[in-house]
Amino acid sequence: MLLVKIAWKNIWRNKVRSFVVITAISLGLWAGVFGSAFVQGMMKSKVEDVIQTEMSHIQVHVPKFRDEYDGSLYMKNGAEVANAFRSEAAVEAVSERMISMGGLASSRKNGMIKLVGVNPDDEKKVSDIYTKVIEGSYFESTKKRPIVLSEKTAEEYGVKMNSKIIFKMLDVEGQMTDIAFKVVGIYNSGNPMYDKMTAFVKLDQMRQGYGIETGSNEIAVWLNDHNQSEAIADSFQENYSDLEVLPWLDLSPGMRMMIEAFDTYLFIIVGIILVALLFSIVNTMLMAVLERVREIGMLMAIGMTKNRVFKMIMYETVFMTMIGAPIGLLLSGLTVGYFGKNGIDLSGAAYETQGFGSTVFPYLDTESYINVTIMVLFMAILAAVYPALKALSLKPVEAIRKI
Amino acid sequence: MSVIQTNNLTKVYDEGPIPVHAVNHVTVNIEEGEFTAVVGPSGSGKTTLLNIVGGLDRPTSGSVKVDGVELSSMNESNLIKFRLEHIGFVFQSYNLIPVLTAKENTEFIMLLQGTPEKQRTERVMKLLDEVGIVEQADKRPSEMSGGQQQRVAVARALASRPKFVLADEPTANLDSKSAENLLDLMLKLNQEENVTFIFSTHDQRVIDRARRVITLEDGKIVKDEKR
Repeated sequence: MLLVKIAWKNIWRNKVRSFVVITAISLGLWAGVFGSAFVQGMMKSKVEDVIQTEMSHIQVHVPKFRDEYDGSLYMKNGAEVANAFRSEAAVEAVSERMISMGGLASSRKNGMIKLVGVNPDDEKKVSDIYTKVIEGSYFESTKKRPIVLSEKTAEEYGVKMNSKIIFKMLDVEGQMTDIAFKVVGIYNSGNPMYDKMTAFVKLDQMRQGYGIETGSNEIAVWLNDHNQSEAIADSFQENYSDLEVLPWLDLSPGMRMMIEAFDTYLFIIVGIILVALLFSIVNTMLMAVLERVREIGMLMAIGMTKNRVFKMIMYETVFMTMIGAPIGLLLSGLTVGYFGKNGIDLSGAAYETQGFGSTVFPYLDTESYINVTIMVLFMAILAAVYPALKALSLKPVEAIRKI
Repeated sequence: MSVIQTNNLTKVYDEGPIPVHAVNHVTVNIEEGEFTAVVGPSGSGKTTLLNIVGGLDRPTSGSVKVDGVELSSMNESNLIKFRLEHIGFVFQSYNLIPVLTAKENTEFIMLLQGTPEKQRTERVMKLLDEVGIVEQADKRPSEMSGGQQQRVAVARALASRPKFVLADEPTANLDSKSAENLLDLMLKLNQEENVTFIFSTHDQRVIDRARRVITLEDGKIVKDEKR
């Protein structure tokens, strides 16, 4: 109790210095938590976007289709495979797609695009792109050959609602076919890279373009729990060995790499914060010790053991950590909570060009919250060890000589 | 009965180009109840001798026994404990713990010793009464005069019931009246409670009150006068 009492009182001897340490701990914790939440929020949002808008949880193709987009590589038994998925309890929805990489032409521009043929009712259950229609509708029009394309594509090709646009594609025989579509919907997914490359038409019309009546070259599967993606995909892969059944993470190796890269990024951010915190506390506590050389020497002279001196210095840091940490956590909770709800607008920061949304909603799972807090607390305590050891190295007689 | 016995005590500082014999073959006995002043010019070895006798420094050669126990063979940890139990210190600059009150500063040593609370409280109040600062008991050092702080330092030095009190220039930072009052207090404690005091000092008022004056020059005892 004696040491606790002295340590507590020592903290308030130099209020400015203690304030600096407490602030460093608070801000260090806040920066660690908020930085982590920012990166995690960015990744979570990216993953959700990728799953909900682009990939769904599982996709099925004929092997090599994704590499070549060859019209002949389609599943003739697409409906049967889709129904097999539908019969699984873990599967919430399935949508057959017919995709073609072809040329899009308007009076202004010719270019390449990925045209996705969908059954709108099924597609709505595996992709939220229909919620991102900003003009017109998602195939509610009665037009003969409707197409839904992105705002960016509409701008580039100089088309508006009801404009005609031509899609040139190869059918299953390798013959070139032109199909004229009418724009019935314009969407903006928030991911310019995706938007630039993707447009939607009805499944039957895409089949017609390919010159087939049934079949599909992509089946998108939505699960009740995305964590089961790999397990379900593996199980179907066994049953359909002639097809390629991939969970979302394997569908996008870039995504996996990005998640890993962001983990490293996060590790580096938190590492830098912790090292800065460490040196800040070491520096300040060292000052606190060196300023008290005479006093600590006197304490040892009159009979305070080195063990007690060490504990006293450690307690001082522990107390300041106990004050700084809750402040930092409160600050973190408030800012992560606020921005998690309202988002941080980064539309000027060019993240969109990297496929990220322009608004980041910081998010931190409980485990990461606890981990960052423990790391900061550990670092704060660790930072006190050197100054405390420095205090032990003082020799009473040398300290007394300074008296 | 000797509380301190030194035999051929020597301390050589070998840090510069020429070794300095701060204490040079000093053999001296201090008896219980003495009121002894160690005097001499600056650099004569007074403080070094007191530091070695107080277990704060180690001799280069020779021996120092306190209450029959050889200090030079003790390790650092045991020396700290020995100082806690057997030696009281009064420093020139008072050196109280700034964050504690007079009462807490006095109690501090007994807390380190593990003395039960009831005994601590009784002894603290008795000591503060003896040194005449009961009314300042709840004040911190910064709220007291130099003389009052030094009285608290004396109370703290006595709190552990030491074999002797080492006072290194205790009056050096005090005004004349405070110095006189402090010395009267120490003399009273010496006479009435048989507390052994050893001073290093230049102060003639201390020398005048001392019953034994040991004069050092160049680390050697050149005069040992008992009165």
